[in-house]
Amino acid sequence: MTVADYDVVVMGAGPAGALVAAELGAAGRSVLVLEAGPAAGRTWADYQANVDHYLAAAVKVPNSPYATSGDAPYPSVLDVVPLTPGGPPSDGGYFVQEGPLPFASDYLRSAGGTTMHWLGTCLRMLPADFEMGARYGVGGDWPLGYDELEPYYERAERELGVAAEVADQEYLGLRFRDGYVYPMHRIPPSYGDRRFAELLDGVPVHLDGADVPIVVSNTPQARNGVPNPAYDGGRGFEPVGAVGNPHSGLRCEGNSSCIPICPAQAKYNALKTLHRAQRGPVEVRTQAVVSRVVLSPDRRSVRALEYIPYDDGSPPGAPERVTAELFVLAGNAIENAKLLLMSGAANGSDQVGRNLMDHPFMMCWALMPESIGAFRGPSSTAGLEMLRDGPFRRRRAAFRAEIANWGWDFAAFAPYADVEEGVHARGLSGEALRSWLARRIPRQIRLGFLLEQLPLRSNRVTLDRRTDGLGLPRPHIAYDLDTYTRRGMAAARECATQVFSLLGASDATAYGPTDAGYVTLDGNGYTYHGSGHLVGTHRMGDDPATSVVDDRQRSWDHENLYVVGAGSSPTIATSNPTLTLTALALRAADGMLADLGEERP
Amino acid sequence: MIDTPKALREHLQTAIEIEWSTIPPYLCALWSLGDEHNREAAACIRDVVMEEMLHLTLAANVLNALGGDPRIDGSTVPRYPASLPHSDRSFTVSLQRFCPEALETFRCIERPALIGAPPQDDHYATIAQFYEAVMEAVDRIGADPGVWTGHESRQVAPNTQYYGGGGDAVVVRGRESALEALTLIVDEGEGFDGSVFDGDHEILGEAEELAHYFRFDELARGRRYVRGDTPSSGPSGPPIMVDYDAVLPMRPDPRVDDHPRGSELRAMAEECDATYARLLAGLQAAFTGAPGGLEASVRDMWALEYQAVALMHVPLGDDGETAGPPFTPPA
Repeated sequence: MTVADYDVVVMGAGPAGALVAAELGAAGRSVLVLEAGPAAGRTWADYQANVDHYLAAAVKVPNSPYATSGDAPYPSVLDVVPLTPGGPPSDGGYFVQEGPLPFASDYLRSAGGTTMHWLGTCLRMLPADFEMGARYGVGGDWPLGYDELEPYYERAERELGVAAEVADQEYLGLRFRDGYVYPMHRIPPSYGDRRFAELLDGVPVHLDGADVPIVVSNTPQARNGVPNPAYDGGRGFEPVGAVGNPHSGLRCEGNSSCIPICPAQAKYNALKTLHRAQRGPVEVRTQAVVSRVVLSPDRRSVRALEYIPYDDGSPPGAPERVTAELFVLAGNAIENAKLLLMSGAANGSDQVGRNLMDHPFMMCWALMPESIGAFRGPSSTAGLEMLRDGPFRRRRAAFRAEIANWGWDFAAFAPYADVEEGVHARGLSGEALRSWLARRIPRQIRLGFLLEQLPLRSNRVTLDRRTDGLGLPRPHIAYDLDTYTRRGMAAARECATQVFSLLGASDATAYGPTDAGYVTLDGNGYTYHGSGHLVGTHRMGDDPATSVVDDRQRSWDHENLYVVGAGSSPTIATSNPTLTLTALALRAADGMLADLGEERP
Repeated sequence: MIDTPKALREHLQTAIEIEWSTIPPYLCALWSLGDEHNREAAACIRDVVMEEMLHLTLAANVLNALGGDPRIDGSTVPRYPASLPHSDRSFTVSLQRFCPEALETFRCIERPALIGAPPQDDHYATIAQFYEAVMEAVDRIGADPGVWTGHESRQVAPNTQYYGGGGDAVVVRGRESALEALTLIVDEGEGFDGSVFDGDHEILGEAEELAHYFRFDELARGRRYVRGDTPSSGPSGPPIMVDYDAVLPMRPDPRVDDHPRGSELRAMAEECDATYARLLAGLQAAFTGAPGGLEASVRDMWALEYQAVALMHVPLGDDGETAGPPFTPPA
């Protein structure tokens, strides 16, 4: 018997991969992390170079601060174009999209993963979200429930450094351990949040034949705030600052560029966990694209991962093999699925790549009669969460609405489009232009609805014949929004109409058939964007015939392979997925330690 | 020799004045570095400023514990150029852009005491000597529990509204905690026992921290200190790139009166001073019974930066030098 190179090899240095590496490393296990993308900010100087790149970018999309490579390409929201039914697939970006609708989300291949540009929203899933099948007859059930995941949510909230108050979060059945407090007090509500609360709290919206009182709810977020001295039985919490500059980022500074980059690193990114991981016997190799899962002859276990090292500008190296006791895939829902399909691995259920979900993100925007101080603070510090669950889920998608602090931002390209309108349409210049902008922009409000999608076999990632710079297949995506989700969009649109009316705001929402994400229902049109929430392609379950991994995210087919991340979630529900995937990664890490013969902590 | 509780309180007030007097000069150097150049230098100065704010807070906590009334207002903050309060006046501190002369001043401010130098409660040569005298007095006079008459509600507590770089506030309740607070000041600031690195890494388990003097020394010499370096060896680590040409060329010791009455520039300078006055008033309130008021001061800290940097972008004449924040003591 030969000795393995490492105890564990992890593909991917995003939140799940970095965390698994940190947990196993802390237990003394030797770990190699293979990251397809570049190091991207693992020193303070590198990180600041990303900030510079962002400042210089003409179009400030989520991936604008980060380096691109043909050898480890990733999608951009700028690639998303309208698709013609029955027409040719779009292949202008990394994805090859056959439609009928475009999958509108991006991600980042980089150390830190997509947490480099995430917003930081850390809502827990609702207890009901784990039991959609049993409660509402749609979507299916998880193999574990809220109460089993609850202790891991607490650990995830420590790892990500979540700022919130429990009292704000106890709604729709969400329950917390007696005496639990979040690591840090909530990020202060913006002025706009407070005005919304004054005008809306307790006033009902009428939807689905029911009255639901509005609650403007502070959003739990992975953003450093004032530590809660009562945390951890009175031991308190010490915020984690910037990687390579630990005095920076100890408090949110309100830089208003959370997406795509927090210049202070007050917002969590997985580089922080990766940094912690490297206190243990953990090695990180960047620019190393895993190209194959090598199975044993009997296919019951994984023998090795094969990866291609590359250095931009030079021909890629020959594939190298690395062996280990355990293997962990922590790419993301698309990269994990792609690799499994390329390797013919873990797919006894034929579920790999299927059930791809996102939160279709539908924006509604309006102009308030008064200034609400738009464009200050983090992108969003509050939301409307009261419609995340209800009996309506039998027939239509639930949603949450983030309340934006940045005016109409990408809903209407504010403030750039406002300047253009002032100059071109209104003929303003100089002082007149400035004062018109100063009156208008601070009054802009926007709601962003995150719609639930059901898992559909036909929403699917497969391998395209077109290849990337290393000769590896590009993801081929088939995607659609079903009636369930479109009904949710109609309800969300109605919700926005009522909210704007209660606020006395004039609705400026406009959707058009030329929008890439334009869909219709009963003659009405709605436009969605991506949320960057990649879910469902290696679903967990309790039956190997219908799921890819078990409730610890271990492959049913190969005893030493874990496939972790939001791809394991069988349903997407309405919470932004990172907190849940972090909790699941911690649970998986406990499973891995048990497999390796460690005592469970 | 500090021989009465009253004298001890006066010396802690001096400590507050010393700590504050370093902050405007450091801020001028920091802000002149701009956003995109000299990030390493900026991170270094920013860290030092944050620690000076911590030291200010710690000194106020000790004074409050002794039943004193910290004062930070127009009567206790310097008008630059100035000597350090109650020092031997061997050097003068000016408001300057980031430049070799400024770094030389900063090294003078943070110079460690020579080994064997006596404590000096007045006319001190180094701040370290001053604090030695204060700590000796706290040890002696503070042994009487009766002198610790301050109310705990005046203390700025750790991990609350306050946050410092690489250290945290200490709630002072008596002699031991007062000595802990003062040790942190000396340790982070001037270092001691001839060491280059301060004690932070032992406390935080984090990256090693240089005492302030050696951080400025690194910038002046353009090279990092690494483990094993000593004060006499100098830094032997990797180079630090400092681009002096990218610095905003602020004219030293800016004043409101540099600008004609009625000019836009004068209005900007006056607005900057008004913000400075508001910031000091906020700190004054925070240190005399409303510790939560520190949070409100943060917005004035940001406003001050924006207004100061705006001034630093306005040229004054043909020599290319620019205006800057006057930091005028409020009337």
